[in-house]
Amino acid sequence: MTLKNTDDRWGSVSQAFHWLIVLLILGLAIVGLTMGELPRTPKYFWVYTAHKSMGITVLVLMLLRLAWRLYAGAPRPVAGTPGWQAAIASVTHWLLYALALAIPLSGWLYDSASGLRPFRYFGQFDMPKLVAPNEWLADRARDTHELLFWVLVVLVALHAGAAIYHHLFQRDDTLVRMLPRRRPAPPVVQDPDHVA
Amino acid sequence: MSPKLTSPAAVAAMLVAMMSAPVAAADYVQAPGSSLAFATKYDGEVFTGQFGGFDTRLSFDPAQPEAAKLEVTIQLVGTSTGNADRDSTLTSSDFFNVAKFAQARYVAQSFRALGDNRYEADGTLSLRGVSKPVTLAFTWTPGTPALLSGKATVKRLDFGVGGGDWADTGTIPDEVAISTRVYLRPAP
Repeated sequence: MTLKNTDDRWGSVSQAFHWLIVLLILGLAIVGLTMGELPRTPKYFWVYTAHKSMGITVLVLMLLRLAWRLYAGAPRPVAGTPGWQAAIASVTHWLLYALALAIPLSGWLYDSASGLRPFRYFGQFDMPKLVAPNEWLADRARDTHELLFWVLVVLVALHAGAAIYHHLFQRDDTLVRMLPRRRPAPPVVQDPDHVA
Repeated sequence: MSPKLTSPAAVAAMLVAMMSAPVAAADYVQAPGSSLAFATKYDGEVFTGQFGGFDTRLSFDPAQPEAAKLEVTIQLVGTSTGNADRDSTLTSSDFFNVAKFAQARYVAQSFRALGDNRYEADGTLSLRGVSKPVTLAFTWTPGTPALLSGKATVKRLDFGVGGGDWADTGTIPDEVAISTRVYLRPAP
């Protein structure tokens, strides 16, 4: 399997970025939607720090992923895909990229503007503050962070729904080409008991 | 011919003059524009806050600081640090517990002059149901209004402010810096 993307497959680097970021965003969503219920005491602040740190990780991975995409390109739409579908898919992809950058940025801005405490990336080093404490800006950034998340949910549903539709109903390679290639089927092992 | 100051009548007149006007301590009340702020750190990051309000009464004569009396009432409801989450935490039972103790009070009666318009007052702060000594150091600028510009250090844990999960002084230091600028006008 190639590292780079080819005309008909995503290479392993793009696949790794895709699925790693999917997992991180899934974890971020679960933590982000539930951490507000935690008691507001220092005992639980590590959960917020973990959410913020994972978000910054996504931001960095997204920048690398975009650089890789610009360098390695993307497969062509699967043969037979109507132009309007390919166009919608492409717009969706770029919107997803934009959201995967804008959501962590708005979260980081929210953290900076709220000025509650230092943001130490996974407890290791202080992240720079984007702005000085500003309650008005903190509220706007939080609302934006949340709104963009729900836009992301809708677009992910569209994106994943389309991939599943292609796989189950069109029976084409749209989904499979973002999955690691199956290993060749193992040779059939003869069951010694049944040797004639 | 100059008057003889050693005459009994002249001495009596001087004593009367000294004892009447300047010796009586002036009574002051707080004028607009006054501020009372605190500063501390969370995880090494400084934040500052203002209390919901405060009211000052002072009886003070710079020439006789030992006769002075200061009374400050501090509204803890409405304490504001520029972050709504932090403000709600500060007013909760873990910190000021405003549901039970809406006000703090500072009373000082023992003042001493340090020279150069600087003074120190040993007072008692009553906060969250605890009363402990707190010293206020201030400079006095006479005028109308007069200005009392002071600083104090309060050990939050002495008063149970931020106990339990918040007691770690590596996260929030025990000592909280208080600073105040009180404009004072003569009491009506």
